[in-house]
Parts: sequence; structure tokens; C-alpha cells
Amino acid sequence: MKKNLKKTLSIGLAAMMALSLAGCGGSDTSATPAAGDTAAGGEASQAAPASGDVKTIKLFHRFPDDPCNAFIEKKIAEYEAAHPDIKFEVTSAQNQPYKEKIKVVVGSDECPDIFFSFCGEFSERFIREGLLMDLTPYLEADPEWKESLMETQMDEYTTADGMVYGIPFRLDAKEFFYNVDMFNDLGLEVPETWDDFIKVLDAIQASGVVPIAEGNQDKWPGAHYLGALNEQCVPDEVRAKDYDPKTGEFTDPGYVEAFKYYQQLVPYMNMGVNGMTHDMARLGFTNGQNAILFAELVEITNIKQENPDMNWGMFKFPVIEGAKGNPDLVSGAPEGFAISSKTAYPDECIEFLKWFLGPETGAQQAAEVGWFNASLGVDEGLTDPSLVSAYEVIANAKKMDIWFDNALYSTVCDEYLTQISDITNGDVTPEDAMAKIQKVAAEAQNLAQ
Amino acid sequence: MKKKKTNLTPYLYIIPGLLMVLGLVYIPVIVNLVYSLFHLSSYSSSMRFVGLDNYRRLFTNDTFPIMMRNNIYYCVISLIVQVGFGTFLALLLESKLAGERFKTICRNIYFIPSLVSLTAVGLMFNFIYNPQLGMLNALLKNIGMANLQQTWLGDKNLAIFCIIAMSQWQFTGYITLLMVVAFQNVPNDYVEAAIIDGAGPVRRALSIILPLAKEQLLVCTIITVIGAFKLFTEVYSTTVGGPGNSSQVLGLFLYQNAFLHDDMGMAAATGVLIFIITVTASIFQLKISRSGEV
Repeated sequence: MKKNLKKTLSIGLAAMMALSLAGCGGSDTSATPAAGDTAAGGEASQAAPASGDVKTIKLFHRFPDDPCNAFIEKKIAEYEAAHPDIKFEVTSAQNQPYKEKIKVVVGSDECPDIFFSFCGEFSERFIREGLLMDLTPYLEADPEWKESLMETQMDEYTTADGMVYGIPFRLDAKEFFYNVDMFNDLGLEVPETWDDFIKVLDAIQASGVVPIAEGNQDKWPGAHYLGALNEQCVPDEVRAKDYDPKTGEFTDPGYVEAFKYYQQLVPYMNMGVNGMTHDMARLGFTNGQNAILFAELVEITNIKQENPDMNWGMFKFPVIEGAKGNPDLVSGAPEGFAISSKTAYPDECIEFLKWFLGPETGAQQAAEVGWFNASLGVDEGLTDPSLVSAYEVIANAKKMDIWFDNALYSTVCDEYLTQISDITNGDVTPEDAMAKIQKVAAEAQNLAQ
Repeated sequence: MKKKKTNLTPYLYIIPGLLMVLGLVYIPVIVNLVYSLFHLSSYSSSMRFVGLDNYRRLFTNDTFPIMMRNNIYYCVISLIVQVGFGTFLALLLESKLAGERFKTICRNIYFIPSLVSLTAVGLMFNFIYNPQLGMLNALLKNIGMANLQQTWLGDKNLAIFCIIAMSQWQFTGYITLLMVVAFQNVPNDYVEAAIIDGAGPVRRALSIILPLAKEQLLVCTIITVIGAFKLFTEVYSTTVGGPGNSSQVLGLFLYQNAFLHDDMGMAAATGVLIFIITVTASIFQLKISRSGEV
């Protein structure tokens, strides 16, 4: 009797273990390839609404730092108060981990309803898998909303086939920031052409100051230089063809030229470019050790925090005379939110984004965080001269050109970043670097199908 | 008849553990092997069979020799410094040279770095190695050796060694502690007998203490070798493989392919390679040290 009891117990325990393990196994495998299966049948499984009348919308963003995080939290609390039937579950992660995490969750059942997504190849890979909702019909249905958004910026969130997949949360562009006092002391003028730029750099160096602050440890800052140089050295059509992974070759001689122009700048940069992060390099600029910094408009907030008394200005990337590319482009891209194609509440998500990324919230965001969204008129009432001039850069841009590292297919991007890093250290020639990139691009044609 | 019934019970006890090992270790290894033959990403809806193409791309990748070299550097240097020097430290700590209290303090000092999270250590060394604001360059300047100042993590010839140095600082004390424990388990009778026979401290260490702590030494060697090929956090939290690809390692390459380059198949192939290397190394070590014999 006693033995029997023991046996039953052990069988029971074993069965329990087996069951609980089966549970683990199930969720484990669904994280990777089976994710696809659920993507197909996702709508069915998500169709059942949450308990009661409360609709839970999951939102995932990449701005965990204040003041932005606090601003988002405040706005969501306001929205929840005004819409008692909607509840938000907000999660966030830093930029780099975010890029990795979103890729894992986006294909699974855990996919957030609304999430941050860079425009360009970063989002288009999801579109190829049918994971992003097409916002075009909603914009067509509400012309007022459509017209309230800045067209140049919405273009960036539109595919070549005309599908709109995201609404900008913050607008951004890359400019050269310079120390106005230092320029005045040396009697320098803001350079407009590349030759003038080199003369200015020579003059600064001759005065004993290291001209350019640059930190490329994370590899993307260098890519922004190359992105801007490629815009000028390579015709638009060629770049468009090469940035598409299915047709990318990178054989145009302009790419090598761009590398050569970049090499010209390296001697003017601070020591140890590859051994320092961009943020640390920016400190060199805000502390007055360097005169020039190639930075994003969204960094104005940081520059002001780091040195509120600094007298700085901005100038556009100098024009390379005689180059075959397009000097009118402005490097930069809006960053915004997309909606999952699997969401159970598409209308509610749209309603929220209309408000959250609309003019009213945008004006508050510009004042409190220093970032602009794409709604027209968010700059009204803005008094801070640096923000006004930042807004002008974007408002006056005829055409944006998205961040180089977001434009490229992942493996090509990785190779490009690696080569830029090696060029910065002087370990490889531009010709050899391009040869390696061409090889990876040829492989990517095969992978991207 | 009765005998057979009693024989069933032990197997029932084994089942839960067996299922756990199967579910958490063996099945993933096999699934990984299967994935390595496909092209897929973490979010893609379809897998495309590519045969051994992932392996071809892995072995012909320009980064491949760099990764192997870096992992082997890490492995060899860790064996020399962590296991070699760590064991030497343990022998000193267990010798009769120092007082009890001093030994305890030393043991703690050596062990503390391994308690700090890898990411925190990575961040800390990012500051130490910073070429402009960093402690290391400042130190070199202040002791009049400014000509030795380097860009450390930004130099393609130095970056991987800077990372390796960081790990040695962190984990030597850990191996020392493991070895101290093993040495304390060596029966005192043997040591005393050796003293009576006239053996000096070096002879005692080589002929009595080390052979009797062989099993532990083997464990330390295996964890060090396996750790060297699974290396990830140290690189991820400092150079992320840069400058260029000069400090790329297998573990980081796997991760980047899986989550940055949407190439799970390539990541799986790298995983299989790491698995083969570590299993081979462990079997080899078990064989040459004839584990189980004294």
C-alpha cells in the first residue's frame, strides 16, 4: 500500500514536471521560426478583446531618458484620463537594445500595438513580412490630418509603392555645430564650400586647437559623415539603386571619392576617434577643447545641458564643388511610431497617434523637450533662438536623406561601418574598403530575396 | 516478478531530470543544428533551406580568422594568467608564508572583482581606457611615460588585448579562490609526512598539493577554455567588435547576426561551431588529465 502510494506520487510528480516543461518548450519555440506561423494567423488569436470594456494598448518606445520619458508618461496619463476605456502598457529601452528587442517581439504574439520604428530599411524589413499596418487609408479618410503633417517628413515614412507606415515623433537632421566665440577670435567665417571648410580647419589647427570633435567607438557617427559625403559624390539614382539590398552594387567611383574626402578630415579630428563614444566627443566640443562638432539637431538639448553658457551656431555640410551628387539634400530623418498589423484596436491606435503626434502635443513637446514632431505649426510660440534655427533647418529642407546606417541592408551596413572605422585609423585604403563593401553587397542581393 | 517492479521506480525518478536536460540542453542543440541549414530571421514568416551555405559564408568571412585568433588569444592568455598565475596565488595564500588574517584579507581582495557585473566592469574600463579623459593615459602621463599613451580601445592592434586584460583583472581572483578551496581539501597528513621527509615548499607544492588538487585544476581549465570561446559581454560592453572588426569574437558575431543582421541561420551556424570547439576542448582535457585517477 505504502509502496503504491509512493509510486503514484512519483508518477504524478513526473507528469507535472513533463507538463510544465511542455509549457516552456511551447513558448520557447514560438520565439523564433514559429513566429511566422502565428504572424499568419495572428489576427484570429488577437481578435478576442481584453476582459471587460478596458482596451489595453501596448506601446514600446526607445526614449527611456528624461525629459522625454517623463513627457511621454505625462501625455499618456492625460490620454488615459480622457479615455477611461483605454489603458496603456508602456515599455522602453535604450536605442541599441531597442533595435534588438523590437525585432524579437515584433514577429511574436507579444508584439506591441504601437511601437517606435526608424524609417527606411529598418521598417521595410518588417513590411516585407507584413508586420506593419498600412496607415494610408486612415490618412486618406482624414484629409485634415494628412495636411497637418509636414510632407517632406512623411515622405520618409512612405515606401516606394506609396504605403505610409509611420508618423514622426521627432524630426532630426545633421549639421555642423561650431563654437562662435572661437570663430570670431580667429576671424573665421562659416564655410560654404569644401575648400573653404578645409581652410577653416587649417586656421583652427594653426591656432593650437584640435578642430573637430569626433567619437566613433559606436561606429555610427562615422557613417553619418559618409552618408553626407555620398549624397554629394554619388548621383541620387545610383544611391537609390545601391541602397536597395536587391540591386546594391556600390561600384560607382563616387563612393571611393567620398571616402577620400572623409580621409581629408581625419587629421583634423581629436586623438583616438575610434576609442571614444560620440557623447564623450561632444563633451570636448561643449568644454571648448574642439571648435566643430558634426551632430544632430536633437542633441541641442544635450549641448545646452552640458554647457548652458556656450555660444554656438550651426552650418550646413559644405558643398563639394564639381561633385556629381546632390548638394541640396539634408542628412537626417524623422523618427516615429508605427502600428502593428496584428493589433486588435487599429482605430484606437490611430486616434491616439493623431493626438499624441499632433500639433497640440507637438507644441508642448517642442517647449518641454526641445524636439519637434511633424505637425505643421509646432514652432509657433517658440522663443529659444537655437530651437527656432533648428526648426528652420528642417522646415527649409527640400528633401531629406535618411541616416546612412538606417538606409543600408544590415550586413552591408555592418561592413560599411567596419570599413569607415578602419579608414579612420588609416588601416585600409578607400579602394580596398569599397572592394570589401562590394563583396558583401553582392552577397546581400542573395540574402534579401 | 517482484524484482522487475522495483526496477521501474528508479527510472521514474530519472524522468523529470532527464526531461529537463532534454528540453533545455539537447533539444535546443539539435534545433540549433537544424536552423543552421536555413536562412531565417527572428521575425520572418518563412525559412529558406540553404544547406551548408551558412557554414560556407561563416568560414569564408573575412572576420572569421580574426575571431578565431581573438578567441584563441583570450583562451591562451586566460589559461596562463587566470589558471597559472591564479593557482600560484592560491599556493602562496595556502603556504605558511603569511598570517591567517593577511590571507583572509588577500583572498577577499582577489575575489571581489569577480562579483562585479560584467557590464559594470565594461563601462568602468571604457572610462579607464578613454584616450582623452581616461585614467590609464593620465597615469602614464603623470609618471612621465607619456610616450606610452595609446588610444587603447580605439587601436586595432591593442583593442582585444585591452579587453583580455580587463577579464584577467576580473577573474584571476575567482580561480584563486576555487584553487584555495581545493588546496584546503588536501589532507594535512600528506603535507606533514612530506615535511618530515624533508620536502621544501616547492617540492610539496609540485608533488603533493597540486596532484591532489588535480580535479579542481581541471575544472578551472575547462571553465576558462569554455568561457574563452563563449566570450561576449566583455566585448559587447566595450568595443562591440571595433575598431573595424579587430576585436570581433565568435560570441558577439553570433549575437549580431541573430539580432542585428536578421541572419538567424548564420548565428546558428556560429553556435554550432562554438559548441563543437568547446565540447572538443573539454573531451581533450578530460582525456589528457586522466580524470578520476590519482
